[in-house]
Amino acid sequence: MSDRIIFEEVSKFYGEILGVNRVNLSIPPGITSLVGPNGSGKTTLMNLMTGLVRPSRGQIHVLGYKTDDPENLFKIVGYSTQFDAFPKGLTGFEFLYSYLRLSGQEASMCERLAWRAIERVNLTEAANRKVASYSKGMRQRIRLSQALAHDPKVLVLDEPLNGLDPLARAEMIALFRAAAAEGCYVIISSHILHEVDIISDQVVMLSNGYVVAEGNIQSVRGEIQEHPTQIMIRCNRPRELAAKMLNSNHAIEISIHKDEHGLLLKTRDTDRFYLAMNGMAMNGIEIESIAPADDDALSIYEYLIGNEEVAR
Amino acid sequence: MNRVWWAQIKAVMRLEFKKTLFARRGLWIYVLAALPVALYIAFAVVVGNQQHGAEKLARRSEKALTYRDLTSVKEGMTKQEVLALLGKPPVADHWSEERPTDSGSNVKIEHEDYHYSDGQSDLYVNLADGKVTNLAINSYDDPGRDSIMFAGIFQFFFLRLAVFFGCLGVFMNLFRGEVLDRSLHFYFLAPIRRDVLMAGKFLAGLLATCTIFVTSEILQTCAFLWHFTARQQDLYLYHNHGLEHAGIYIGVTVLACIGYGAFFLVAGMVFRNPIAPAAIALIWESINPFLPNILKQISIIYYLKSLCPVDVPVDPGTPPILALLISNGDPVSAPLAILGILVVSVIALYVSSIRVRRMEVNYTTE
Repeated sequence: MSDRIIFEEVSKFYGEILGVNRVNLSIPPGITSLVGPNGSGKTTLMNLMTGLVRPSRGQIHVLGYKTDDPENLFKIVGYSTQFDAFPKGLTGFEFLYSYLRLSGQEASMCERLAWRAIERVNLTEAANRKVASYSKGMRQRIRLSQALAHDPKVLVLDEPLNGLDPLARAEMIALFRAAAAEGCYVIISSHILHEVDIISDQVVMLSNGYVVAEGNIQSVRGEIQEHPTQIMIRCNRPRELAAKMLNSNHAIEISIHKDEHGLLLKTRDTDRFYLAMNGMAMNGIEIESIAPADDDALSIYEYLIGNEEVAR
Repeated sequence: MNRVWWAQIKAVMRLEFKKTLFARRGLWIYVLAALPVALYIAFAVVVGNQQHGAEKLARRSEKALTYRDLTSVKEGMTKQEVLALLGKPPVADHWSEERPTDSGSNVKIEHEDYHYSDGQSDLYVNLADGKVTNLAINSYDDPGRDSIMFAGIFQFFFLRLAVFFGCLGVFMNLFRGEVLDRSLHFYFLAPIRRDVLMAGKFLAGLLATCTIFVTSEILQTCAFLWHFTARQQDLYLYHNHGLEHAGIYIGVTVLACIGYGAFFLVAGMVFRNPIAPAAIALIWESINPFLPNILKQISIIYYLKSLCPVDVPVDPGTPPILALLISNGDPVSAPLAILGILVVSVIALYVSSIRVRRMEVNYTTE
């Protein structure tokens, strides 16, 4: 059995409209974020991964299972979709219980799993209310609990933090982290790039149905040659340091921070820049910190995709 | 069958049966199922009133009459012979008519209408110039005649319209309704084979339609028998195959639900608009008598008609095309008819199972 989620040359067309094209991915355990603007193919990729739509070309295997084998696939996969519709007339508990019963398990087991999932998303008090009366955040949480209820190995979560208040967001992020720490595959799509930074082990960046980058954020940043790396140096005498840097020929652009306690430097060769820094005589300049300023998801997103629809 | 599959089918049925039976958008199906019951209740009330009138008329007769007395009157008898046989009529009407003759003068004809009753049947006698010219007996306790009416309503309204459109409403919505409600993903995200899901949904639809239409059929039989006396009911049910016929009608109703259910299940997956398949099926089922034998067999109504226990007679004056629609010129044996429906249904379910496996959740294109 494979230990990866694998896309091989996968394309999906909705008639003449492109969903995703020639996607090759090999997703390891941990939290993987799918990042891209609306219509970039994030949801299509998730629907393909869970068999809700079939690829026009190519093959997908989720830990060795084919996506047209729901009987086995959904024993290991939980999917929280963006579809905000539920079977009519069900309470939160009935929704989860009915879902679990579809797997053919015993009633008592399903009841126990349903209550546990409800507790995990803090919906115990509202469990016996009709889902139709839930707020947007509560509906999001009950969808998450559906995905989590059967302890899946693969969690596919489409915009899982939408509609949640800050406390609930923090709780959910902790939940995803815990699942990833236990070896789960957590696939998340998100617009909120600073959250992607916080939670992701790796990112898959999509634009117009194409994967434009994948891997961990730092390695993705390292591969972007056309944009020089930005480094923020906090120090007591930034102007003197800037002059030294320019002389060393490793910096192509330097700007002084407005508080006069730092400078932002751009370099095309980060490794040689750091080596040069080590050999430089500082003559009383006290360096407080040196840190990359653009190896976050937001910067990479802007470099690769542009700044459309970026939620900061 | 795999034990888990059966548990999954039961889980799907639990959800779907409740949803189908109490769906607000399915209220019209209950109306369709209730219409023949209402018709028989209305019929029973009207016949009951007429029977009550006949009893009153019988009490007003000069002498107590029997059904044999009423049938002893023949056309051509004189007024005196009628009065000798039946006595003075409790209700009589007299009128005269001026009728032109070939010579251009008018001749006066004296008409008399007599109305007798034995309490169960009414006799209408028309006399012209003292001779019986026309006779009509109307019985209120003729289960044999009424059973033909029942057969007509069963074949031409209940099967062809109520069950047909009821199944359309239920089975086409099993998947199509979920797509419109954007809730199909609930099932597609569960660890259940798509064809097992389809089987569960089909059985739930079948249970719901059978509950509705078999209940209607039982109520129709009760309403149909309501105006008969206990003795007549006993005679009809236990000595004239009434109970057997009622059982066959229920069986035919169940088979109709299976056949139409399977057809509309697959139609709901193939067509986006239910009007197109409904119209095609309705036309196909209607022109069935005119089709060659091989095509006749690809139909539900062909087999259902063959199973109906009472033939609807064709009046001699009926136009040939209508007569062909009413009569079942080329019926098949009951086992073959049942097999035919089941084969047609299995083929439809097989196609459904292929369709459901290829189905995608793509609400935006709907």
